[in-house]
Amino acid sequence: MNMKALRKSGVSMIVLALTAGLTFGCSGGGNNGATPAGSAKTAGEATGTQSNAPKERVKLRVEVFDRGNAPDGISITNSQMTQYVQKNFGDPNNIDVEFVPVPRSEEINQLNVLMAAGTAPDVIFTYNTGAAYNWAKQGGLMDLTEVLDQNGPNLKRYLESSLKYGVFEGKQYSIVARRVNLQKYSSFIRQDWLDAVGLPIPTTTEETYETLKAFKEKNLGGKRTIPLGFALAPDSYEPIIWSFIKEQSDEDRYLKSVTIGSREYPILADGHKDGMRFLNKLYQEGLLDPDFALDKDKKKKDENFVNGYTGLYSADTGTTFGGEASVANTLEKNVSGAQIVPFLPWTDFEGKNRQPAYTPSGMHIMVPSFSERAVEAIKYLDWMAQDEVIRYMAFGEEGVHHELVEGYPVRNGSDEDTRLLFNTGDVLIITNGIDFGSIDKNVEFMALGVSDNHREMAKTSRIYADKDAVQQPIQFDKPLDSEAKHSVIMLEKYEELLVKSTMAKPADFDKVYDAALKDFLDTAGNEVIAERTAAYEAMKK
Amino acid sequence: MVRRSRFTLADGMIVGVISVCVIACLAPFLHIAAVSLSSSGPITSGKVTLYPVGLSFDAYTRVLSDLAMLRSLGFTVLLTAAFTALAMLMTTMAAYPLSKADLKGRSVFMYVIVFTMFFSGGLIPEYLLIKELNLLDKAAVLVLPGLISPFYMIIMITFFRSTIPASLHEAAEIDGCGKFGILLRIVLPLSLPVLATLSLFYAVGRWNGFRDALFYISNQNLYPLQLKLYQMVMNNLISEVTLAEGAAVKELIPESLKAASIMFATLPILIVYPWLQRYFVSGLTLGSVKG
Amino acid sequence: MTKVNRNSYFYRNWPYYAMLVLPLAYFITFKYLPIYGVTVAFKEYNVFKGIGASEWVGLDVFKHIFSMESFYTALRNTFLLNGLDLIVGFPAPIVLALLLNEARFALFKRISQTMLYLPHFISWVIIGGMVYQVFATNYGVLNLLFAQVGLGPFPFLSDKNHWLVTYVSVGVWQSAGWGSIIYLAAMTGINRELYEAADVDGASRLRRIWHITLPGIRTTIIVLLILKIGDMADIGFDRPYIIGNVMVREYSDVLSTFIYRIGLQSGQFSNATAVGLFQAVVGLVFILSANYISKKTTDESIL
Repeated sequence: MNMKALRKSGVSMIVLALTAGLTFGCSGGGNNGATPAGSAKTAGEATGTQSNAPKERVKLRVEVFDRGNAPDGISITNSQMTQYVQKNFGDPNNIDVEFVPVPRSEEINQLNVLMAAGTAPDVIFTYNTGAAYNWAKQGGLMDLTEVLDQNGPNLKRYLESSLKYGVFEGKQYSIVARRVNLQKYSSFIRQDWLDAVGLPIPTTTEETYETLKAFKEKNLGGKRTIPLGFALAPDSYEPIIWSFIKEQSDEDRYLKSVTIGSREYPILADGHKDGMRFLNKLYQEGLLDPDFALDKDKKKKDENFVNGYTGLYSADTGTTFGGEASVANTLEKNVSGAQIVPFLPWTDFEGKNRQPAYTPSGMHIMVPSFSERAVEAIKYLDWMAQDEVIRYMAFGEEGVHHELVEGYPVRNGSDEDTRLLFNTGDVLIITNGIDFGSIDKNVEFMALGVSDNHREMAKTSRIYADKDAVQQPIQFDKPLDSEAKHSVIMLEKYEELLVKSTMAKPADFDKVYDAALKDFLDTAGNEVIAERTAAYEAMKK
Repeated sequence: MVRRSRFTLADGMIVGVISVCVIACLAPFLHIAAVSLSSSGPITSGKVTLYPVGLSFDAYTRVLSDLAMLRSLGFTVLLTAAFTALAMLMTTMAAYPLSKADLKGRSVFMYVIVFTMFFSGGLIPEYLLIKELNLLDKAAVLVLPGLISPFYMIIMITFFRSTIPASLHEAAEIDGCGKFGILLRIVLPLSLPVLATLSLFYAVGRWNGFRDALFYISNQNLYPLQLKLYQMVMNNLISEVTLAEGAAVKELIPESLKAASIMFATLPILIVYPWLQRYFVSGLTLGSVKG
Repeated sequence: MTKVNRNSYFYRNWPYYAMLVLPLAYFITFKYLPIYGVTVAFKEYNVFKGIGASEWVGLDVFKHIFSMESFYTALRNTFLLNGLDLIVGFPAPIVLALLLNEARFALFKRISQTMLYLPHFISWVIIGGMVYQVFATNYGVLNLLFAQVGLGPFPFLSDKNHWLVTYVSVGVWQSAGWGSIIYLAAMTGINRELYEAADVDGASRLRRIWHITLPGIRTTIIVLLILKIGDMADIGFDRPYIIGNVMVREYSDVLSTFIYRIGLQSGQFSNATAVGLFQAVVGLVFILSANYISKKTTDESIL
């Protein structure tokens, strides 16, 4: 490089720095168009005009998850799906719908920044209840009560029971989507192993324990036999812990458990310690995977299972079966003669199979307080809540994107299907799963996505997962500060409690458990329980 | 290195030790390569270690036929080149004056710069700044905010001071060379090893960086390769969450495709590196000429 | 003074200052303008009110932080892990560079070098998965190998002391090759004649390394050492976060992971900023003292 070139680039750098300096201080703006401030309020108050399209064309910005899985040549912000939305909702209402991608894995970080900068889309959503609480508490969310009443008749009818999950302090800060399938966990046992030890399918915790011992003695999976597949993940510990809980009145669940993320942890309930003691026994007798604490993403648990090392396997319902490459099919391919059967391994003090289930609520859909498009946002969701729209956004057109099988639409897996529906769940945000009217029908429909050989089993496992299932009682009507604040730390401390007491020497169990529990309570637990108690007292009045 | 021609025991040991290190470094890469060439059954069963099982080129076919991926590669190459050139220019402009021990105000400048190695405003103020500068969603946002690394600048200063004798400066000045002339004609040519090294560091930093793009870029045409890669890899890691999202998401990205994409994103740097290495060597020859 | 003095300091040296204009503008724009964000550490930050309008709370945030036990654990671990890295991880690239510099066969050398940089390009997410496959107690490759010679199994990931070994070795594996580049570059700057003279004198290989190569890269070593010591309070996020697990949290939780947890993950920006600020002050003290000591003892200064 000679001096001239250096000077030249130097000059352009100066120009650049100057322009940067000039622009700094001017408002970057321009995100929400040039509508005067406060129009949301006026629009909200203008009753009865909902059928008329606004005169001026406006822009509605809607969040969409970016999972990096768009098919070749399609972008998440401009796909057949977004075009469908524009054509059927946008154009008739004189609205430009713009989709704003938010990376799925960084959604909360990203949304926090966008909210702080005032550049968040008009429609945002998240599964993270803590974040929704935080925003509501700080005044960052719009109260949608009125707007919803005036512009969302369809939406209200469609959501109905899930809407109450979005009411904080009497105000509808969040439109909560529906969840159709509430089953959480399913367990399976190796039928060929049962045959080898000559035992029937166990039906109680005691029988299950004896069966695991028999598996261990015979080393049915070779040197690396793992009678009970286990990971440091809810699908491993929740079914067992909950089967030991003795008190399950709503009051107990309010006062003796904490909510971490969306899960309820019955940390102080009678029986929690017994559950841990049972895990300790299993661990000490070599019945569960000794490296479980390293396996947070459940990869190893699945790997051990498909390689035939595991006797009893539990997983999130619906993840075991599927197409050719499903967990069950891989196992059968890898291990000749392997056969699994769904069953209910754990029984509680009453002999019931009590197990946790999802609440019928999905993600929180919200409008930031600085948005000027609250009315349009609700209109958009209201439009979406029509049967034909839901059907199109979930399944596309018959013959093109799906075929009718036994009367149910089943996506055909063609290129057309993928191109339209690759992110259907991220656009069709008002529901999680499609409701066909009854549990039986929904189970029937879900099973259609499973390869023929496992279809019946898939149905059975879903029906089992519903047996004696209990949902979390409805949350408090007021965000609990401490619970939102400590959610990350509480989960860590809970995992520590679980790992330490499971791995403790039996003689030390009480000491280790009590110390870890105290640590949990001192760090955050006590604060949360105190706030829950106060909130419960207030709610009872 | 031209030295004794006899291959001694010590030479053998050196080769041995290096080879062991090389194997240790190579193994994980071989693993990724093997996964990228295997079919999905053996991968989920954990049977793929250092060689492909159930050989399949599908993943590569998919990566190479993905136009967005290729465009992203092109963009990242341009971005890296532009960034590295500007970063080296700015770093040199900072390092050269500051390598003069007697420059008035030098220590003030140094403190001003070193201070920024420790204190930063945090994510939100930085985002607000970028927004105010109107840089959101522009390629420039991936270039400007990282132009000078104080760390690399200090390394360059040290190199200037320790390898270029002050007498050379004086001689050049007597010959009537201006300050710019000295920098361009004498200092920089003698500093090729450090220039090559730091260029490589800057380039790799830009090539592998994605956190800035994650926050500042939403236009998919401006996604650097690593951001696409990150999203692919993270996609499966949050399966726990995805499950709570119900049947909505079935399109998980196959492991082999992720592995193939990683290979695709890493190979360009490995191909470029030996080429840069030449400059380390040319620095050496120049060093021996200077006398 | 209106008349230009041709001999004045600034007249002679203006090009230096001209060169510095843009770099300083850069630092001011991108590093100093957003720095008001640190005030969040003294405020009850509400993202919607903005930083300016959020309420001042004085040192309350710091009081809260200093009352947290996990803060002290994180602080101790930061120094512990960085200290181990300094002892083991710092010399590793130097040794590697010396070996490479002494190696025969140019082609072998070049190929090895390229291979040695590979780990640097593999993201931590992927390394995390592989660490597990290699070090796990029950089925890790390493323990399977040990079992063959009748040793182990060693709880590399689940016992906190073993875990330290794992942590340090993964760090060396990942960065030693890449770190050696800078030393190799410095070595190419060494005058060839010195080696030739040593050859004539019949000096042994070790003596040549000791008397020519090492002194030749002395300044580089010192500068990097100072920077490394200055970074004692700073620790990367990915390595402890990804290699760490519940069983070793007593050692694996460091300031960066602590900040991430309370800040971005739980939205407690004030707390996170306060910890960050504390870390920055400690870091600054460290680098200034390291620089001072180095100036006193070796006459080398980086600032």
